[in-house]
Amino acid sequence: MTSLSIRHVEKKLGGAPILRGIDLDVRNGELVVLVGPSGCGKSTLLRTVAGLELPDAGAIHIGDRDVTRLAPRERDVGMVFQSYALYPHLTVRENLAFGLTLRREKKETIDARIAEVASTLGLEALLERYPRDMSGGQRQRVAMGRAIARRPSLFLFDEPLSNLDAALRAEVRVEIKRLHARLSATMLYVTHDQVEAMTLADRLVVLSGGVVEQVGPPLEVYARPKSRFVAGFLGSPAMNFVAVRREGDRLRAAGVSLEVPSSLETPTSLALGVRPHDVRVAREGDGSAALSLVVDVVEAMGFEAYAHGRLEGSEDAFVARLEGSAADRVEPGLRLALDVTHAHLFDEATGRSLGSVSPAGGEP
Amino acid sequence: MRASLAPRSPAPTLLALGLALLALLASSGARADDAPARLVLWHAYGESEARGLERAVDAFEAREARAGRPVRVEVTAIPFGAYATKLQTAIPAGHGPDLFIDAHDRIATYVEAGLVRDYGALAPELASDFEPSLLEVLRYEGALFGVPLSVKSLVLYVNLDLAGDARLDRVEDFERLLDHRPEGVVPLAWEIDSAYAGAALFHAYGARYLDDEGRYALEGERAERALERMRALVSEGAVPEESSGELVRNLFRSGRAVGAVSGPWLAPDLPRELRWAVRPLPRIEAEGEDARLVPFSTIEAAFLVARAGQRDAAEPALARSLALFLAGREGALVRAREGGHVVASRAAWEDPSLAREARLRAFHDAAIEARPMPTHPHMSRVFGPVDRAIRKVLRGDLAPREALVEARHRFEDETRPPPPPRDPTWALVAVSSALLLVTLALARQITRAEVRAALARSLPAYAWIAHAFVVIVLLVVLPLAVGALASFFAGEGAELHYVGVANYVDILSARGGDLLGHGSFWVVLAVTVLWTVANVSLHVAIGLVLALLLSSPLLRLKALYRLLLILPWAVPSYVTALAWRGMFHRQLGAVNALLDVVGVPPVSWFAHFSTAFAANVATNVWLGFPFMMVVTLGALTAIPKDLYEAAEVDGAGPLEQFRSITLPLLRPALLPAVAMGAVWTFNMFNVVFLVSAGEPDGSTEILVSEAYRWAFTRGHQTGYAAAYAVLIFGILLLATRRSGAGARARRREVGA
Repeated sequence: MTSLSIRHVEKKLGGAPILRGIDLDVRNGELVVLVGPSGCGKSTLLRTVAGLELPDAGAIHIGDRDVTRLAPRERDVGMVFQSYALYPHLTVRENLAFGLTLRREKKETIDARIAEVASTLGLEALLERYPRDMSGGQRQRVAMGRAIARRPSLFLFDEPLSNLDAALRAEVRVEIKRLHARLSATMLYVTHDQVEAMTLADRLVVLSGGVVEQVGPPLEVYARPKSRFVAGFLGSPAMNFVAVRREGDRLRAAGVSLEVPSSLETPTSLALGVRPHDVRVAREGDGSAALSLVVDVVEAMGFEAYAHGRLEGSEDAFVARLEGSAADRVEPGLRLALDVTHAHLFDEATGRSLGSVSPAGGEP
Repeated sequence: MRASLAPRSPAPTLLALGLALLALLASSGARADDAPARLVLWHAYGESEARGLERAVDAFEAREARAGRPVRVEVTAIPFGAYATKLQTAIPAGHGPDLFIDAHDRIATYVEAGLVRDYGALAPELASDFEPSLLEVLRYEGALFGVPLSVKSLVLYVNLDLAGDARLDRVEDFERLLDHRPEGVVPLAWEIDSAYAGAALFHAYGARYLDDEGRYALEGERAERALERMRALVSEGAVPEESSGELVRNLFRSGRAVGAVSGPWLAPDLPRELRWAVRPLPRIEAEGEDARLVPFSTIEAAFLVARAGQRDAAEPALARSLALFLAGREGALVRAREGGHVVASRAAWEDPSLAREARLRAFHDAAIEARPMPTHPHMSRVFGPVDRAIRKVLRGDLAPREALVEARHRFEDETRPPPPPRDPTWALVAVSSALLLVTLALARQITRAEVRAALARSLPAYAWIAHAFVVIVLLVVLPLAVGALASFFAGEGAELHYVGVANYVDILSARGGDLLGHGSFWVVLAVTVLWTVANVSLHVAIGLVLALLLSSPLLRLKALYRLLLILPWAVPSYVTALAWRGMFHRQLGAVNALLDVVGVPPVSWFAHFSTAFAANVATNVWLGFPFMMVVTLGALTAIPKDLYEAAEVDGAGPLEQFRSITLPLLRPALLPAVAMGAVWTFNMFNVVFLVSAGEPDGSTEILVSEAYRWAFTRGHQTGYAAAYAVLIFGILLLATRRSGAGARARRREVGA
């Protein structure tokens, strides 16, 4: 059953196209995360679903209702704003009760609902406080509470964690995950933070330039990015891209020789995508594809370390993840072994993924 | 110089003080022994009349020089509004002139204050040069204290083009014009509802304002019938309603009045292309007889300053000689020719050089026939009550008899003797012991070591604020203290005496009258509160609506609208007030003209409390809404947009968003603005004074304008007015403290 369906939605703001034909379905009880860089249109899409913006074309259904032209208050959605947008002149209790009072709920219903929300979010001690007397995390919880209290059929989150510090963010992230499990509510969640996106999403929607790049479960999107953009956007540190030369029926990329995959037809300009985690320091006699990294900076993180530099015979920057213990033994010329089964090949012209590659047999 | 009816405001007084200081500096220069004798002459003439005086003084200097007695006369012009005050303060202090020129009706004040000295006997040929009646009014208890320079009175101006062949020497002739006059032309522009201009008609009916002892005398059947006649003239339209000097001037200048009753001061304002003539006031059928309208006349005279051995006594004879020269034929001729003075010297008028000055001659003849303004000090207090009586009768609020009885009561109320002196010992003891206690408490504080240390630490800080402290003490604290002190005194000049709290008791007890009666403090307070509430609510409501419109994202040309809407604020409030006053005129105002378009009959705006009050409120709302609009606009932009979005998602429609987001979030910004606006409105003197002027019958006065009346138009009861001011201060202090506390509490609740 589909709880939210978005069809061919287009939107221009000030003449510039922001959404260019978006199609998206969110199933009942699913948490879908919209992720993408600034300006990709994810917030606009969310606001269009909320009714704060009207689409220029396309249709939006919540449940089986066409809400495309409805005002926000008629859509039965709850929204958590980036700034929280708590009513500064009302107490936490009044903030929570605001939407219920407007719907002329009975006083007992309102009180019961507030008690429930307060216990869910741990707001019991804060009910009589004003927003200005609370910390950022507390305000954030009240903002969520306000959305929950009304029991809408769809929850919308507009970068709700971006005003929190890193530690708090991790904490609330988990809390939202639990909340989703408990409420089994349908949620559309906007963020530019890939960690949030990966950890929270049932399904991930990567947006870029007003179009959907890829939709899928987070691990699948991570493992099989459909485009160079998605591959580069997800994962930290970002995927390395190495220019690829074609030599006969072989591909050469900075000292690595690969077989031309069967899917590759016309020879084009190609790039090899290698995640920093998919290389390791080459051992003596290591036969597999070997790279030579000219290291200039090493970031030691403790458990692991990142070596930054350039591949020999290439102009592209490259980052390699190393064991934490290897950090102080890194030499300027670092030999790396590459597990090509995890590497991706991209068409440089279209950015499309050409799938994984397999190693070429024998020495180059 | 016009009759001394204009209210005096403090600005000219200050200006005059400044000028006096300059004059003092100039006159205290060293004088060589062989220098010519020196005389100082003060006057309050306007430009052209001053020129005439100066030419005449030149002639005097020339004559004396020929006779080998060189003399230098310093002629100093003093602003008219400050003239009397200035004379009364400068002369006793020894800074005054040797002689001055003023209207005759203040002679009693000057003589009784010992400011002027008598002329002794005039040479017979000089004495016979003046109408005996003119010399008569310049005598006080038998002695002659002034020589008449010129005479002024109201005359009839006739627009020759409009008059055509009509004989216009009777009031009835003007009434006949009603049937065949051009559209929009008034037969006779006459400020009939002012006691000054209306006196002519009372006199024609044989009524008078005061008896010889200075008691109220305007009553009886003659006065009542005069009032009936006035009402008939206005109601049939021969004379315009709600007249004023300004209206008379404008109507005649613009050719919209066949005749006008005004003084010589109107002539210089008339445009060149207007063909007009001056005649004596018309005759009228009164009490079955043919009578002449007799206006008051003012005789401008030269007064000699009595100097009791002060300064370098210039020969008193020289000042007298100058005065007689100016008044006599030779000086009079120069003054008439060069300055257009309506000179009193009969010999001058026989001179051929004045034969062609027909208008000047007409001013003179009319003034000679007029009745000199009585010199009793109570005269100045009779005008206000009579003004009101006439207006009430013209509006039909009261029958003539009741109106005159009311005028008598009012006159007696305003001329009532000041409260008896009290022994100030008790108050002095109380105040000085309080001061002593405060000093002791301070001294004890200072002896404490930590206080002394703190003081020593902040001594440089005190040095930095010292100049501001001094300025505030001089400009704010001191005047406040003096004003408060004045409220415990009554009487004027030498009769000033301590009366304890008698002024307050009088005010709060409505001077023994009805507490809810006319002019009672409590009634005026109620009007003031109503005035404040009405204005501030409208200010906020209109300001809020306009600010919401201006902040709407759909509106174009916002900057232009904003500019236009702030404009009323930028125009000086008295200009706006005068413009609105004009717009509310019954016959000639724009408001009634607009109402006429939609078929509403004309409204006499200042005839009823409700409409006069509404006119005041309209003016003040016009002046006041831009401030609230600007404050609201500022506060609106400070409300985050996402609050509205959150409310929208939560289910709030536009109205609910306004009620539960906009209003509560505007409140912290609006509350102080409302408190401030309330104080301004509570004390909005300009609008009340200039628009309704308290009409009808003082009912729209607010506390400040009432205080002003007591201080300046009801015989200078400054102590009484000061007590009013202290009460106003107290009321506002209490009100703002309370609302301030409320605002602080709410700000705590809403947050910054």
